[in-house]
Amino acid sequence: MVSDGASYQFDEIDRAIVALLKENGRITNRDIARKLNITRATVGTRIARMTSTGALRIVAATDFAAYGYDVLLAIGVEVHGRPAEEVARELARLPEVFAVHLVTGARELEILVAAHDFAELSNGVIDGIAGIPGIRSIDVGIAADIVKYQFDVGISR
Amino acid sequence: MSLVELDELDRRILDLLGEDARLSNRSIARRLGLVEGTIRARIKRLQQRRLLRFTAITDNRQHGRPTLAFIGIRNDTRLTRELAATIAGIEEVRSVIITLGRFNLLAVGLFPTLESLIELANNRILVLPGVTQVETSVVVKSIKYNERMAKIGFGADAAPPLDGEGEDEDEDEEDQSDD
Repeated sequence: MVSDGASYQFDEIDRAIVALLKENGRITNRDIARKLNITRATVGTRIARMTSTGALRIVAATDFAAYGYDVLLAIGVEVHGRPAEEVARELARLPEVFAVHLVTGARELEILVAAHDFAELSNGVIDGIAGIPGIRSIDVGIAADIVKYQFDVGISR
Repeated sequence: MSLVELDELDRRILDLLGEDARLSNRSIARRLGLVEGTIRARIKRLQQRRLLRFTAITDNRQHGRPTLAFIGIRNDTRLTRELAATIAGIEEVRSVIITLGRFNLLAVGLFPTLESLIELANNRILVLPGVTQVETSVVVKSIKYNERMAKIGFGADAAPPLDGEGEDEDEDEEDQSDD
């Protein structure tokens, strides 16, 4: 078995630590130790092991609004005449494109795009996307409201 | 839409936290040449304004490698809100977005098996009153996903925090990671 990524599996103590970190990513090791009745050193070692294997990432997530991203789009991309993954990697280079997935179904890619306003969208983002060879068509959905957004399960990379 | 005012200091704090979410208030203060209390107050304010949230992301392999899937839904538009709430109540569904254009609703979910995705789409969503079409699309490979960009605040006003409220009220001066 490869030990990179997350082939390492959490045990009971790891899971208890993770649950506390999901609630508050900045809880101190001392508070975790106190709550779980284990030593601070154990907490430190466990967190280091989980993060170094990539199984756990502790993040400071910012709301779209914090950076003024008022326009969100979910775009289906139809690729033709070029490997979809190549197109995906080019799309991933655009900073406004914050998610790129290869998918099954009518389209080859699903991407998520954030822009500050519609002017930016039409001036830069859509041109940037349309300029990538291999894109036959895009199907755009404009987010009118986000009703639920959970992001605590990461995707293997 | 939303008018969010962040000053230079807020941004510098967010940038440092973006590199290391466990960086202590003391270290941030030292790097920015400010006192720790200022940093603590700023972080707290960002959290209260629902612009910042500290969380832990676990790799999907710790969850039995679930299948990530997009579910596009077309429905009677008069029922969109109601349907969004119903679908948001489904445990496997991680996010629900009301969209204009290609669908009325877009749901993203994590499913233990392909069968469970199809079962959900056909037997639990397509049957809902007002739903006319359900399209599923399974993620085969993720090329990019920036989970630092997220939706944290919900609703128009400053609702009470979703999680860990008051947790950090008496945050001590200790480094988050101890050293």
